[in-house]
Amino acid sequence: MINRTIAPETKTVHHIDFQSPEIHTLNNKVNIYSMRKTDDETVRVDFVFDAGSLKTSKIIAQLTGELLLSGTGEKSSDEIEEAIDRLGGFTGIEVSTEKATISAIGLREHIISITKTVVDAIINVNFNPKEINQLLQSKKKKMAISLEKVSTQARRAFLSDLFKNSPYGDLTQLEDYDKIEQNDLIEFHQEKYLSGLQYIKVVGAISEEDLKELQTLGERFSKEEFTTIDYDYGYTPNKIHIEKEQAVQTAIRVGRILFNKTHTDFIKFSVVNTILGGYFGSRLMTSIREDKGYTYGIGSGVAQLKETGYFFISTEVGKEFKDLTLEAIAAEITLLQTEEVSEKELSLVKNYIIGQILEQSDGAQAMMDRFISVESYGLDFSYYDEFIKQVNAITPAEVKELANLYLNWEDFTIVSAG
Amino acid sequence: MVEFKRFKLDNGLRVIFHKDVTTPMAVVNTLYDVGARDESPERTGFAHLFEHLMFGGSVNIPNFDGPLQEAGGSNNAFTSNDVTNYYDVVPAQNLETALWLESDRMLSLAFTEKSLEVQRSVVIEEFKQRYLNQPYGDLWLEFRPLAYKVHPYQWATIGKNIEHIQEATMEEVKDFFNTHYHPGNAILCIAGNLELEEVKRLVNKWFADIPSKEKKVRNLPEEPKQTEFRTKTIEREVPSDVYTYGFKMPGKGQDGYYEADLISDVLGRGKSSRLYKRLKKELELVTEISAYVMGSLDTGLLIISVHPSDDATLEQIDKEIWKIIEELKSNLIEQSELEKIINKVKTTKAFSEQGVLNKSMALAMNELLGDANLINTETEEYEKITVEDLQKKANEILQKTNCSQLIIKAKIND
Repeated sequence: MINRTIAPETKTVHHIDFQSPEIHTLNNKVNIYSMRKTDDETVRVDFVFDAGSLKTSKIIAQLTGELLLSGTGEKSSDEIEEAIDRLGGFTGIEVSTEKATISAIGLREHIISITKTVVDAIINVNFNPKEINQLLQSKKKKMAISLEKVSTQARRAFLSDLFKNSPYGDLTQLEDYDKIEQNDLIEFHQEKYLSGLQYIKVVGAISEEDLKELQTLGERFSKEEFTTIDYDYGYTPNKIHIEKEQAVQTAIRVGRILFNKTHTDFIKFSVVNTILGGYFGSRLMTSIREDKGYTYGIGSGVAQLKETGYFFISTEVGKEFKDLTLEAIAAEITLLQTEEVSEKELSLVKNYIIGQILEQSDGAQAMMDRFISVESYGLDFSYYDEFIKQVNAITPAEVKELANLYLNWEDFTIVSAG
Repeated sequence: MVEFKRFKLDNGLRVIFHKDVTTPMAVVNTLYDVGARDESPERTGFAHLFEHLMFGGSVNIPNFDGPLQEAGGSNNAFTSNDVTNYYDVVPAQNLETALWLESDRMLSLAFTEKSLEVQRSVVIEEFKQRYLNQPYGDLWLEFRPLAYKVHPYQWATIGKNIEHIQEATMEEVKDFFNTHYHPGNAILCIAGNLELEEVKRLVNKWFADIPSKEKKVRNLPEEPKQTEFRTKTIEREVPSDVYTYGFKMPGKGQDGYYEADLISDVLGRGKSSRLYKRLKKELELVTEISAYVMGSLDTGLLIISVHPSDDATLEQIDKEIWKIIEELKSNLIEQSELEKIINKVKTTKAFSEQGVLNKSMALAMNELLGDANLINTETEEYEKITVEDLQKKANEILQKTNCSQLIIKAKIND
């Protein structure tokens, strides 16, 4: 019989091979990034525009994005959708605070036709009032449903309070849907789509010829320099509770404005975050789910924004466990600040983090995501070498020091809903 | 083409190996042929509760997650009405860590009272988070018993109610393990940039000495053919009404499943589908409408889900839905419309098989259905279907007497 109490030896990951995409620069200075060494028939083309909600209001940015395929002077929305469906294509529209990404998705043989249809639709969209109204009705209804969720209520209150002084805290309210003017959409489209293409990314084994076709399509837009605005990211820690009588769980958000990956402490703080709440075996998960059973899940993270970032802890707990949970979270943070993490736990977390980078770089699409996530902060792949180096080097004393620097309870905004 | 090799251990464990040279990761996917349908009606939610207990330490290893994370890996699991599936993703050089952990929990669990007590609470919080504290969260808890009168699909994987979870005992946990968790009731799929001989050696090393047990013969009550239209109205504190229609259809792996799947696409997949174009774009009766199949292994459901517009009535919407259904039953669809939905099936399939984890899960599931190679032949099955087949199947499935309807009405507060 084999001795099952002895674990097999493990080997640490020391190095990850990162592959950069090919880069072609178009006449309008837009870059096309492409990863064409893939082994299947799928292709995804993303057009990324400077059309995030920071450049207008959340609602205008969202509606303009979602209406891009809603019809032109020549084609109705039905005809556009039909044309894409016939080619087995899919489209995606994602509007965040900082950018809008429009995706054309399909098999290699059809991808150029699908993308052409999408680009034609984006360029010639005429924001038909009937289409605007249908979208408004449907979004209003979805939002009313979403607002019933304690998780939505807590997230909204948390962000709007933390980012009081910048558009990151801008929230759409139900009544905003009744104040939309067609012209707001037309102007935003003109400025941030027709003249706002930032870059194109392609993942899939397309031919040279197809790549040229995509370049021609990209040149139908122009590129204004991405504009950044300096906002005030100062905030005052606050406590907010939203009562919902019939709720059986309470959603909790705890956090503060912090920094993004361009900050010198970011990498090492990521290790602190992972220990606290960044993986299944984290201290928060162990204490609040696996030991006490107050929740189905709890986690923490550092959200990345272009100019800054914020640290958050997020969970939904049985209503009766709200105060106990907040106490337990505070206790875990105090522990990190007062006692050094053991070498054993730290080594586990280091291996886990590096294993995750390896997994998150697996495949052409994942590699493209890794590339963009450094490129958009003005960094390159050497960032990950530095990341691995710093993760491996961090000591228990540094973990404690960073927890004392950045995780003080009195700096946190604490929101509960339920 | 997803290539694979299979082999079987003497204790009955079926193993699939897929070599993927493009990835630095390896996957160990373990599918157990047990789901919520195998539960006793008095102890529902048990298969899922049990999935949680599988992470509470095994007979020789006190903690499952720790060693896997130490090896740079991650893992998760899900329970459906049909199966329970566990997967581990590790850097390929640490494959053996995952095999060591998976084999020990197949051998036996630690069965600690603390683990049972905590996971009961965790699952109760999951029940609240997903089913009680969300608008429309209890839709399936209400719909399933309306559509199924006999078959265990009448309860959701989370269980009928919280009491069933609260009352679960250690004896029942052990009994469940002994009945369902053994080599003969599992399919192991291993994938990555690995060599077959090495995989065989390691699988034998860790799994071969797990005792075999007799596979329990599944003897589920068959759901009798539905012969009457069923409708139920409930009131909830939600912002607006939601209507759900469900038609009985063949299970996955049964004749007619693919036809039913395509019928749901014609009706309500995407923005060029018939229901969407007519009810949403043309008549503005709904703000959302879609149709899809549940994909269960026994008699399944084709679902139409409707969010009505504020000023539309149930009568108006109902009339239009049945009109579109009648058109589909009395007229052949155009060849070009069939080609359109087949094209979408192909794209979806190509994307759903990206990545070594997706492929491993699909291989294991197809092997359970009878042949892992279905992953490669499924598209051909769809391509064989003719417009006549669709019309015939539509006439069988889309009958009023085969339909269950749940109306969730928004409670009007004063």
